[in-house]
Amino acid sequence: MSDAQRRFRDIVLPLLDDAYALAKWLCLNGADAEDIVQEAAIRALKALETHDVERPKAWFLMIVRNTAMTWMAKNRGKTLTYVGDTTDLDAIDQPFGDSAPDPETALIALEDGERVRQAIADLPAPLREALIMRDVNGLSYSDIAGAMGAPIGTVMSRLARARAALAKALRS
Amino acid sequence: MRDNENRILRLNAALDGELDAMSAFELERAMREDPALAAEYGRFAALREAVRRHAPRERAPRGLADRIAALAEPAAAAAPTTSAAILPFRRAAPSRARMFALAASIAACGFVAGAGFMALRAPGAPHSAADALVSDYARAEIAGAPFDVASSDRHTVKPWLAARTTVSPNIVDLAAAGFPLVGGRVAVVDRIPAPTLVYRHNEHLVAVTELPPDAKGVQPGEGTRTIDGYHVARWSDANLAYVAVSDMDEKTLADFVAAFRGERSPATEAPRR
Repeated sequence: MSDAQRRFRDIVLPLLDDAYALAKWLCLNGADAEDIVQEAAIRALKALETHDVERPKAWFLMIVRNTAMTWMAKNRGKTLTYVGDTTDLDAIDQPFGDSAPDPETALIALEDGERVRQAIADLPAPLREALIMRDVNGLSYSDIAGAMGAPIGTVMSRLARARAALAKALRS
Repeated sequence: MRDNENRILRLNAALDGELDAMSAFELERAMREDPALAAEYGRFAALREAVRRHAPRERAPRGLADRIAALAEPAAAAAPTTSAAILPFRRAAPSRARMFALAASIAACGFVAGAGFMALRAPGAPHSAADALVSDYARAEIAGAPFDVASSDRHTVKPWLAARTTVSPNIVDLAAAGFPLVGGRVAVVDRIPAPTLVYRHNEHLVAVTELPPDAKGVQPGEGTRTIDGYHVARWSDANLAYVAVSDMDEKTLADFVAAFRGERSPATEAPRR
């Protein structure tokens, strides 16, 4: 076993669940997610032949994310490129409404797993991506910014917009 | 509009443990004075909880995990790990060749883009845990970011650390002894993330890292050292090894260690999970 393979086993294999979850939420399809993760793993192994990494999770998930972007552009003919900055946030008015919502109704919506998952799937891809990296993968803002190649302000804006949009979807 | 934007960004950053100590403090105070703000925070928190519960990290299918694990097998991995330069001389199976060509082309652009910001380094020389932690401490100090999660509330710090490390940290309250908790961060020792608690004493900080006793570079027993001007104390109990790095003087650090160990009496020593 080569040194790269050894490090691949130590670094990448424990991250496969994270990678698969991210890929599946990005492309919303299990079979495609498998292809993406497999491709990302090959890229990671190749990278480990010449480099060592300090923050394995942020690093590998960045590769998964980039692989997914390339894969979607190629296979679905569209990219997830998205232009936006913190000024987008002006579009968010009161995510929870002006008046306090009926607490009972709000709680019931949050208990409905299928509805929550559908609301996440319905988010625009750039917002969904930020939300998943944060709340499913547990990456820090700076790691998400690194993975997206976006400024941290954009990450904050997208995350806030994602949650505001979810709140709205689950309120109605 | 700007106020609305700032408020929502701040609430979200607080929820994610991404506020610096001063901003966290100001927000906590604002929430005490403004029940509507506190309620809005509560709704964001409930929403995030629902996302985490209903969109859990899904397990990778077994077949996928097996195929990827096979990449690290000496025999099976020959083709994918062979360098591009000699690949044309091998007659790889079409599917594998296609896969490899894809990987190589993507790797060229994707990896270079990544290298720009992700900290990459050549495989490093072995270091003692104490050396690594002194570097970590100095780096955090220079960056002005001594902690990743700023909170004096151990019920905030503990789950934050537990979610990011393999050691479930025990956090002791030493405010009465003159060392209030100010936050936590993750230090990486031999590629293993280790919970680090940051306590304050006057204008000085002390960072205590909790490590599995068998982690590489951890010296057994107890003792003190000075590395690059920082004082370092190490000790261990039945479950964990501890390394404290500080810019305090030796005497104050010794007082801190005594207070910390005193709180870890056998009654509180059992790992809480």
